[in-house]
Amino acid sequence: MSQNEMTFIQGVVVEEEVQLTFTELCRACNAEIDHVMTWVVEGVLTPIGESPQNWLFSGDSLRRARLAQRLSLDLEINPPGVALALDLLDEIAALRSRLRVPAST
Amino acid sequence: MKFKDYYEMLGLPRTATQDEIKQSYRKLARKYHPDVSKAPDAEDRFKELGEAYAVLKDPEKRAAYDQMGSEWKTGQDFQPPPDWGAGFEFNGSDAGMGTGSDHSDFFEALFGRHSRSRQQPHMQGQDHHAKVMIDLADAYRGTKRSISLRIPAYDDQGHITTQERKLEVSIPKGIRAGQHLRLSGQGGPGFGTGSAGDLFLEIAFNPDPQFRVDGRDVFMDLPLTPWEAALGTSITVMTPEGPVQLTIPPGSIAGRKLRLKGRGIPGAPHGDLYVVMTIALPPADSDQARDAYQAMAKAFDFNPREPRKG
Repeated sequence: MSQNEMTFIQGVVVEEEVQLTFTELCRACNAEIDHVMTWVVEGVLTPIGESPQNWLFSGDSLRRARLAQRLSLDLEINPPGVALALDLLDEIAALRSRLRVPAST
Repeated sequence: MKFKDYYEMLGLPRTATQDEIKQSYRKLARKYHPDVSKAPDAEDRFKELGEAYAVLKDPEKRAAYDQMGSEWKTGQDFQPPPDWGAGFEFNGSDAGMGTGSDHSDFFEALFGRHSRSRQQPHMQGQDHHAKVMIDLADAYRGTKRSISLRIPAYDDQGHITTQERKLEVSIPKGIRAGQHLRLSGQGGPGFGTGSAGDLFLEIAFNPDPQFRVDGRDVFMDLPLTPWEAALGTSITVMTPEGPVQLTIPPGSIAGRKLRLKGRGIPGAPHGDLYVVMTIALPPADSDQARDAYQAMAKAFDFNPREPRKG
């Protein structure tokens, strides 16, 4: 069963134009509320706002949260491990860009 | 359909214990995880591993798979035997392998009978994700892309099928690799009165032999001859936006960067384009060329291993 439809769509750039609420972020990366909560505690994500109901996550949080979600599901890494892996991946990315080598090599 | 040897993928004999399977999977999964590995085939390898592990970690699936015998080799043409799966009961719990249920035909034919997930009467549809490859030049101008999405859906019997959906998406100028476009309401359909989910498109750049990107800044190498670098010249350089006339100042040295302000990826502010000068030496492969090098040796009192005078 397949169906074709043609639509013309304009999107918004999440990293530049969007702030995500707690619920939106959980849904966007298909993560459980408890997991996202733990990542905030571990410092993987840093929302603004005092309580979870008021939390707002920057657009870049989407990338980080999805990465955290994939690492914890695929490699069964616990939240402190995810936090460490993300820090190290960020550092590798920064070093790579200092070397000015394309990320694909 | 081709047979897949799940034991071979995990580098294990068919007699491997459940612990060995887990150990080997973990080790290979860390090695080939697309977020960690930079190997070009990492994503495919990782998917294969996930599929192999989904079968072998589950005693029921493994037993059914083992029943087909050990004569099969990867890549052999394969049809499931008519009595396939008799006496086994699989559940759909393998769908949680993170990167989605993007399994091979082989896997789907053998284990694809997912049970319908419990749906709440009114629920917002799922958010979906897809990756879009664009050229660096597309980030300068913006572009339009026709995207085919394979969306898993349940048919009337509750079996999982894939529907193809085509979308024409406009990708805005100034987008960078790693950024996401959110297309509201283009994700999974909602249930009951629930609204549809969103579709997120992750942007990636096609590999480019010439340009390197750092944030909004773009870098390119510009090889010069020794005389162009020493005497200065004016040359046409191909930038992602098209040709630009560039003045090379006299006395240029290798590694020096010329900054073309605002000619990086557009945005607020625009990125810059850096032209990194390199010096290419012509080969001394003819008498004439050797004479020219000899003449240079005579003309210069130059020793690069000594600190420059004054």
